[in-house]
Amino acid sequence: MRYGRSAAVAVTGILALTACGGSDGADSGAASSGKPRIKLVINGGLGDKSFFDSAYEGLKKAEKDLGYELKVVELGSDRTKWEPGFEDAASADDYDILAAGTFEVTEYIGELAPQFPDKKFWLFDAPVDYSGKNGACSNKCENVYSVTFKQNEGGYLAGFLAEKLVAAKSLKGAESLKKVGVMPGVKIPVIEDFVVGFRAGFKDAGGKNSDVLVQYVGGDKPFGDPAKGKEISTSMYGQGAALVWPVAGLSGLGTFESAVTAKRYTFGVDSDQYQTLTDQAQKNTVVTSILKNVGTALYKAAQADQKDSLKYGAVDTVGLAEDAVGYVDDDHFRELVPEKTRNEVQEAADKVKSGSVTVPSAF
Amino acid sequence: MSSVLDVVLSSAFLAAVLRVATPYLLAAFGGLVAERAGVSNIALEGQMLSAACTGALVAGYSHSVALGAVCGVAVATLLGVLLAALRLELGADVIIAGIGINLLASGATAYAVYTLLDDKGGTSGLKSGTLPTVTLPGIQHVPVVGDVVSGQNLVAWLAFLAAPFVAWLFFRTRFGFHLRAVGEMPDAAASVGIPVRRVQYAGLALSGALSGLAGVFLSMGYVSFFVRDMTAGRGFIALAAVFLGGLRPWGVFLAALGFGAAEALAVQLGTLDVPPQLVSTIPYAMTLVALAVYAWRRKRRGAAGEVATASL
Repeated sequence: MRYGRSAAVAVTGILALTACGGSDGADSGAASSGKPRIKLVINGGLGDKSFFDSAYEGLKKAEKDLGYELKVVELGSDRTKWEPGFEDAASADDYDILAAGTFEVTEYIGELAPQFPDKKFWLFDAPVDYSGKNGACSNKCENVYSVTFKQNEGGYLAGFLAEKLVAAKSLKGAESLKKVGVMPGVKIPVIEDFVVGFRAGFKDAGGKNSDVLVQYVGGDKPFGDPAKGKEISTSMYGQGAALVWPVAGLSGLGTFESAVTAKRYTFGVDSDQYQTLTDQAQKNTVVTSILKNVGTALYKAAQADQKDSLKYGAVDTVGLAEDAVGYVDDDHFRELVPEKTRNEVQEAADKVKSGSVTVPSAF
Repeated sequence: MSSVLDVVLSSAFLAAVLRVATPYLLAAFGGLVAERAGVSNIALEGQMLSAACTGALVAGYSHSVALGAVCGVAVATLLGVLLAALRLELGADVIIAGIGINLLASGATAYAVYTLLDDKGGTSGLKSGTLPTVTLPGIQHVPVVGDVVSGQNLVAWLAFLAAPFVAWLFFRTRFGFHLRAVGEMPDAAASVGIPVRRVQYAGLALSGALSGLAGVFLSMGYVSFFVRDMTAGRGFIALAAVFLGGLRPWGVFLAALGFGAAEALAVQLGTLDVPPQLVSTIPYAMTLVALAVYAWRRKRRGAAGEVATASL
């Protein structure tokens, strides 16, 4: 017991020393520049070719164009390290704005924001509980800006386009197929929102709900198991899917491989995956990517914050109308998709933007 | 329900079982060899991961798939030797040492990929290729079997040959007898002149090589790139198969194949109207059942079971 306590004291001391050392070093660096400092804390890692990479790109652009200073902390995929990781990141005095994303960190931000009232927090892809009813947000999180995305609108366009493509038999080598597949990582609201939107778009374009195959990756690493992603996609192509849309981070890389083997098609997600993929055969399978411009939203937040016009203490919800969600319309898209279909998709997008079509949501 | 039966009886499903089971089989045999040598190899996961990463990187840079595979297996073998050294030379707790190797592998592979490719996700930007598939001449004309085994990866074939190989090794070779003797009762083995440490080093090296082959399959067979932590717990499921199989080669073979079938079934059932949460619990629920069955069997074996526990 005695040894245990002294060991604990020693460990705490070492941690305190390293923590101080870390923040001191960063402080002196920042004091000289005087720029607003953003710390992006990622509950996972960069290199996902979609969600976090997009956030990083947006903030890097803010660093370059707007004169911010950016620091990135990657906490890795081990969930047990997230809470202490956020506590460490928030309590080190080496930032002005702490940016973090996904619904999984809302609790941490809700608890940390009141403890550091002179810091700003940006939370993307999920809102904190501003009511403060569940323990967190004791200061009503008035120093937290949350931005959420209408990914259901992106999903809607994906579903709409998918049905139009199979109905017009315009996908070479898959003319006889009517089915399409969606491969989400897990069944959580923010991911399910894509799926709900997809189904609605598919139906509005004239498709049957039973022609939409949906299969979740699940398991230990739903967003990081490409082998399982490939197995699932192969199975969906085997069941007659003309295209599969992975909404599952790195697991989706397996889909692009199986599409090459099956000689079928895919949609990308979050980032323009035609650009992020390197293999030409895989690129060719990507009809379009459904963008969720996390980076653009963060860049806009950075712009607004400089003009003191960013709304703290509230949720900002952005979608097609704000260009925060959309689809890629590039040469490859125009090559694969006939003009008539392109116009129809554009019309559908305009209807959603104007509000004459309301897309159902998983929230 | 009939659609479920259709799915399970299709040759596409059986082919999927073979693919999904391959890493489980190889890693499980790796775990089995170590377990029978008296050293629990909980580092299967890390060995697989290191092999997967090394294989993809070496193949990508050298443009030689074979060299990549060999280097991948070699790294995993070395990690097996490292685990043995930590246990035998430094007296480390084998579980803690194994966890340490797993953590090291997870961090080191991500770091290596980032350093070399400036990509924090994986090696998908590097063209590294896959190991060849094997089709026995004429077999594609055999109904069902032809569809199932044709075009399976070379490593999948090796995984299935590993069962008779390990059985032969354990029960038909001098090394196998020594290995089992060392695992069951090292003192007794030493007293009759068996070089206990050397046998354990060899056992752990073989264990590492087998799990390395499983890792190489993931990044150079299943898919053609490495992704950070892509083993996704497969090493631990393989470890469960070792115990479910009662530490016997053919038992482990069936257990690993069972896990593969469970996962392939989960994949096939996914598009039917079964709740996804339920489907994705199948492999894990099976693991729990497996461990319960193992515990029950061990209890029934009584004294023999105690020897097995003592050798852990």
